[in-house]
Amino acid sequence: MNRLRQCLLFLIALGGFALGGCATVEPWERDLHAREDMRPNEHDAAIDDHIYFSKEASSGGRGFAGGGCGCN
Amino acid sequence: MQLKKPIGATLASATCSLLGALPAAPVAAQEVPTWQVDTALLYYGEDAGRVSDGSLATSIRRVLDEDRSFSLNLTVDALTGATPNGAVPSNGVQTFTSPSGGESYRVAAGEAPLDPNFKDTRVALSGSWQQALGDSMRWNVGFSGSDEMDYLHLGLDTRLERDFNRRNTTVFVGAAYGRDEVRPLGGAPIGFSPMIPSVGGGEDDEGEGEGGETKDVIDALIGVTQILSRRSLVEVALSYGKSDGYLTDPYKILSVVSPVTGAPVPGPVGSGLNLYLHEQRPDTRTKQSVFAEWRYAFDRDSLAISYRLMDDDWGVTSNTAEARYRWNISENNYLEPHLRYYKQGAADFYRTVLFAGAPLPQFASADYRLADNETYTAGIKYGHRTERGEFSVRLEYYHQTATPSPGSAIGDLANFDLVPPLNAVIAQFGYKSSF
Repeated sequence: MNRLRQCLLFLIALGGFALGGCATVEPWERDLHAREDMRPNEHDAAIDDHIYFSKEASSGGRGFAGGGCGCN
Repeated sequence: MQLKKPIGATLASATCSLLGALPAAPVAAQEVPTWQVDTALLYYGEDAGRVSDGSLATSIRRVLDEDRSFSLNLTVDALTGATPNGAVPSNGVQTFTSPSGGESYRVAAGEAPLDPNFKDTRVALSGSWQQALGDSMRWNVGFSGSDEMDYLHLGLDTRLERDFNRRNTTVFVGAAYGRDEVRPLGGAPIGFSPMIPSVGGGEDDEGEGEGGETKDVIDALIGVTQILSRRSLVEVALSYGKSDGYLTDPYKILSVVSPVTGAPVPGPVGSGLNLYLHEQRPDTRTKQSVFAEWRYAFDRDSLAISYRLMDDDWGVTSNTAEARYRWNISENNYLEPHLRYYKQGAADFYRTVLFAGAPLPQFASADYRLADNETYTAGIKYGHRTERGEFSVRLEYYHQTATPSPGSAIGDLANFDLVPPLNAVIAQFGYKSSF
């Protein structure tokens, strides 16, 4: 059942891409995308992921699940 | 006198003129910074005397040229405090043996059993090399390693990205391998073996653990980033992870209680302890997740919303939703509120207690992190840019509540909070600069 939900979600997302792909944004229209605040803050994300990894049964998603600690 | 104008701005103006469009904002030529430094000093503190962590995390990135760069990340954590040992409260004083077997600690009647001996220093180092492969591909290869008193991690990872559709679409794939060594204090206990009393003369709980247990972790990732419009993009990633080896927590135990009164039953004859059994988890775990994030740029601010669905073959299914809003108050100041909601279902073998007289299950753990639980995180970050770099301060509040396994709250146990809630604060001071 869970696998099914995942596949469904992935297919919906792929559909979203297909729709989004119709509107090509040219390089000279990327000023807003180039803004620093439109990029994930990898440093903060790494700190947060380590905390959540230590307190929850899930990890990863955006990147690798990671690990490397015997966190209590 | 000739006025100098950055060539990038000139080109942008020319391009926009040619195409009859107006640039939304001045586009300046950007020099590639040679060094980028990102440092954070972090305090993490749980309530009720539980775990606290003082941490320093520094990342340095060196850009060699337009095609190549490398980065190094160093984190040092100093952890202290008390951590739940897995047992449940009782109407009497409870005595437990420290992990090394050298000491014992007592927990008052009605109190949540916490092991007060938690103290560790963790040093983690990772690095990566980024390399462009032609105009539309990038390759990244990295390593990671961390060392604690009782844990050693070594890993390698790689990631390949390729742009399509005039760089509106980026597809990425990645893989990582890690090998961890667990060196539990006092050795790795046998699953479901009873806790035995302090024998005296055991090793210090602050000493090095003993070697012998390993696990291998493989991760794979595939995803796509798609620009949807001038203002928005979406990223979706599908990941898979498999862990093989020693996945048990050597320090976690389970209380064995009377199925009628809920009171602890006596341990081995002559031990003077109640019966507490060491936990036992499966030696493999496979998990998969879908992650999706949508980012939207307003004229001044931006918004990022993400969702993750994860499940594994331990029976855990989790949903995570997260949102950040970047409020760019002025050119040099911003505020960033953050909200996160997380909910997970319990692992199939999660048991808050075991009942005396009942057959032992194949696997069991009373680790609250494998329980049915729900978490809220709320925080805010303030950033201030100066000529010397960006300074930031971030505060977060983390609240987690867990549900005991069904049928646990019998007899005396109905009077206790069998899995106490967890509250933590996170305070972070950051500095980053390019030069």
